[in-house]
Amino acid sequence: MARENERYPEGEALIQQIGRRHRVGLIWRVLFLAATIVGIVALTALLYNIINQAFGLAAVENEKNPQTIALDYQVARMLQAPNTEFGENDDALVAQIADDPHAVGFFGYAYFQQYGDSVRALAVDGVTPSAETAASGEYPLTRPLFLYTTASLADQKPQVTAFVDFYLQHVGDVIEEVGYFPAGEEAMAEARSSWLAATGRDTLPAVDPAAFDGDISIAGSSTLYPLTLRIAEMFQERGFAGNVEVENVGTRAGLRGFCVDGDVDVVDASRTILPAEFEACRAGGRLPLQVTVGTDALSVVVSRQNDFATGVSLEEVRSLFTAAESWSDVNDAWPAQPIARYIPGGNSGTIDFFAETVFPTQLAELPKDALVSILAPTISEGVGRRLEREQRFFDNYLIFESRETWTTICAAAEPPPGCTGAPRSQQNVYGLVVERVVVPDVVQTWSLVDSIFRRGEVLTQIAREYPGAQPEFRSWITPSFVTNPQSDKPELSGVRTAVLGSLWVIAITILFSLPIGVGAAIYLEEYARENRINRIIQTNINNLAGVPSIIYGMLGLAIFVRAMQTLTSGVAFGAADPTTANGRTILSAGLTLGLLILPIIIINAQEAIRAVPTSLRQASYGLGATGWQTIWSHVLPSALPGILTGAILSMSRAIGETAPLVVVGASTFITFDPDGPFSKFTVLPIQIYQWTSRPQHEFRNIAAAAIIVLLVLLLTLNATAVLLRNRYSKRLT
Amino acid sequence: MGQRNALAKRPRIGEGIIQAFLFLCGAISILTTIGIVYVLGNESLRFFTRQLWENTNKRLVADIGPEETTFEVSNTGFTLHTGDVLQIGHEVVEVVSIQGTLLTVERGVQGTEAAAHRAGPEFLRANRVSLIEFFTGTEWKPQIGKFGVLPLVNATLVTSAIAMLVALPLGLAAAIYLSEYASHRARSTLKPILEVLAGIPTVVYGYFALTFMTPLLRSIFGENVVQIFNTASAGIVVGILIIPLVSSMSEDALHAVPDSLRQAAYGLGATKLETSLRVVVPAAFSGITAAFVVAISRAIGETMIVAIAAGAGPDFTFNPFESAETMTGHIVRISGGDISYNSIDYNSIFAIGLLLFFMTLTLNIVSRRIVARYREVYE
Repeated sequence: MARENERYPEGEALIQQIGRRHRVGLIWRVLFLAATIVGIVALTALLYNIINQAFGLAAVENEKNPQTIALDYQVARMLQAPNTEFGENDDALVAQIADDPHAVGFFGYAYFQQYGDSVRALAVDGVTPSAETAASGEYPLTRPLFLYTTASLADQKPQVTAFVDFYLQHVGDVIEEVGYFPAGEEAMAEARSSWLAATGRDTLPAVDPAAFDGDISIAGSSTLYPLTLRIAEMFQERGFAGNVEVENVGTRAGLRGFCVDGDVDVVDASRTILPAEFEACRAGGRLPLQVTVGTDALSVVVSRQNDFATGVSLEEVRSLFTAAESWSDVNDAWPAQPIARYIPGGNSGTIDFFAETVFPTQLAELPKDALVSILAPTISEGVGRRLEREQRFFDNYLIFESRETWTTICAAAEPPPGCTGAPRSQQNVYGLVVERVVVPDVVQTWSLVDSIFRRGEVLTQIAREYPGAQPEFRSWITPSFVTNPQSDKPELSGVRTAVLGSLWVIAITILFSLPIGVGAAIYLEEYARENRINRIIQTNINNLAGVPSIIYGMLGLAIFVRAMQTLTSGVAFGAADPTTANGRTILSAGLTLGLLILPIIIINAQEAIRAVPTSLRQASYGLGATGWQTIWSHVLPSALPGILTGAILSMSRAIGETAPLVVVGASTFITFDPDGPFSKFTVLPIQIYQWTSRPQHEFRNIAAAAIIVLLVLLLTLNATAVLLRNRYSKRLT
Repeated sequence: MGQRNALAKRPRIGEGIIQAFLFLCGAISILTTIGIVYVLGNESLRFFTRQLWENTNKRLVADIGPEETTFEVSNTGFTLHTGDVLQIGHEVVEVVSIQGTLLTVERGVQGTEAAAHRAGPEFLRANRVSLIEFFTGTEWKPQIGKFGVLPLVNATLVTSAIAMLVALPLGLAAAIYLSEYASHRARSTLKPILEVLAGIPTVVYGYFALTFMTPLLRSIFGENVVQIFNTASAGIVVGILIIPLVSSMSEDALHAVPDSLRQAAYGLGATKLETSLRVVVPAAFSGITAAFVVAISRAIGETMIVAIAAGAGPDFTFNPFESAETMTGHIVRISGGDISYNSIDYNSIFAIGLLLFFMTLTLNIVSRRIVARYREVYE
């Protein structure tokens, strides 16, 4: 009776039971929805994970800093220009210019001022250097002047801190006297406050030099030299008991003494510190601190006896200090007299600043011949000759090969590609310079999420664990990633060979399986009678669709790669060398995948053909068409959109297939483009598999980038399928 | 008369050729199946009949000429039996009878030539991989001649079981939601997303398993518990891969249940849940079961995810947090790179492949039978 009541309750109990049943129903409804959403969550996680790995911070150790390489190149070009004299003693250089009407040079404004009666400054881009044009920044060669020192000296050498304090207090009084311009009020205030912050004080104290003792060693820029010398003299005049030594060695040498040797306390600098120098300093335990003390207008100077040049454009400056031999080379209006150049030497910050401002110093922007001349001295003759045989550097002359050898090898039966191909592009040579001169090495990478939300932590970790490395935000997927061939260095590696391999394989696959698949579908739908053989064929096709793809790989290995080796390696067609060729070719892979997608193509095509109304066929027969005419002219065109959609969907299946191709023997490391059905090859999914299996983190990053390429490829294919379907179905209805 | 002849049926050779060609196209699928069975069977046969030479530690006591059929061997080493096949130098002999240390043999069998041998060299004895060892051995170490397939099968079953634990409930629940609950709009958004999931290459899932699922599991269960390569991570991701398959096949089955059944249930006062679980799901049971069986078959044959995330090295373990190599994973690892033909490794992967082929084929046939036999036909 009780059970009966439970099953068929009445009154209040009934209402309760209904309520309970609805509540349970609601809970389950939510559970069902949640299960459906798991799919979306999984998809999101998958894409998130790939994006997260494909971008992010990387610690990159360059063997050489690309900016330094470019700068060095430009400086060397100036120093090696014909008829050029250089040195660190600016006074001597200016004196020489004064005597020669065809001489030219560039110096700090102070030197120009000092020798104002015998030399004059040229207007650059129509602007003459002066206090006003320098302050407004209108004059293109305006540069700030700095001191570099470090706060860590404060304890051992309080006199250094005192000197810098003194410098900041008094520089304004003497700077114009020396010939430079005070830095803007804002810049000075900022310099003061950052200096105070670094030394842990609030206000600049009034310095009494007499209260200090000990040595101060200052070295660096010849530009800043007169100013620093002046202030050092003042410092000593006011009673400093120790010794201040100011040396005029150039910014570069000064920074080296400060960072590497540690025997310089304060550096005079006429340019900002380079990243490489900063790293060296930090590695040496001296965190360099930059203090702005003034502004200079770097002046392009000629003799007062020069009566033809009054102004130059930046373009003219470039040739004036490099390749031009006579004045008329630079400007037709000037005399055909050789240019005599007197410039500061390679250690000076002035020439660095000049090169940096006047010439491009981004390595990637250098012209091809510049890149070649950077590359040539760093690689061995043998490597150079190999590169040149692969592809020439220039159309009309050779860099590494001698003309005779070149003629001989190009006359051979199979000349190397360099003989006939187009010369290397600037981009190509840039790639070689990066690969062989800069030699970037990614030592560690971080995911996108870490790079954004834990940026500070990551940066400190890089500074602590990889002192020689630069943090760099990298997108692992770049244009060069798509166009580069494989390489054993992840940062230089690309998917070019893999993408080409995939395209080749898929082309063979579809050429093989589409006609056969459609043929089989036509047979089964239009011709086959209901008998045993046809039933077996149909069942068999359905079963084949369920066979794991790796089994097809083994079939391909045994049949196409081994048994049909002479055909698939191309030996039978004379397309390959019988002694080295084997059957692990694009053709074998294409045929294997062709068999794999055949059942899918057949089943899809069957459905498309089945959907064609019988009335169409009957109408055709009624007009006297034969069976094949009916199929060819009426059934197939109507079924085409369905067939094509099925074919494209099975193509996207084939593009993503990995396992069968691993078994068939796609090569793992291929650096050359596949050039036909008998080439060895690799495909995108295999590339992804290989990179994923490597333990280094960088390979995971490029695997993620390769996945993005693969997904984009698939997306394109599927979008094409949808477009095709829409287009054809419109036409037919 | 002439008129009638013109209208009579004429043999059309072109049509006949075309039809024959189309039949051949259809027959290629049969050839493929025959090819698969032949290739797997043939190489497996070689695997099982292959002789693995094993040192017996028995040596020849005195020199023998090419004619002698009886000679003495040392007392050390293995016990020999009549019918054993031995190798001395390049010659292979078969033992006819044994008296103590005196062997009577048939010289120069298996296409080798009888030759004179000096005293000293040790005999090698031919071993074969027996079917029993293959199916019951718990060690797969080709380099020391251990060919027990169980560790590989075990790993396959563990990953597949985990995949099923993920895919079956989620896939079925998703199918029920999409078929019974979802509005038309929800359905048209959710279904394509599941289809996208099905279209992503498996190697991408493998990457996902290794770089996302494994770290996730390790952060949940501890790095000491979960190895870097483990079957749990691979299994879960295989499960995610299979969800769309289960849900779309099950949904088709649920969809085929006529509305009259649902209306009858509602008429009796059942709630939506009761209708779905007690009427619709049972009515679609055969289709759902078929979906499950196909899903299992797919999980067993899945290769790249397990090859990337489950580990390399056939270990016999039931712990899902340890690494183990599945059948497919092993095939991929062994055949990657240049495998030399006719090596024992080459033959062995075909034996594994044959087993795999039969496992999936059986499951597929079973699924088809279930649909055919238990299908409730509604008019």
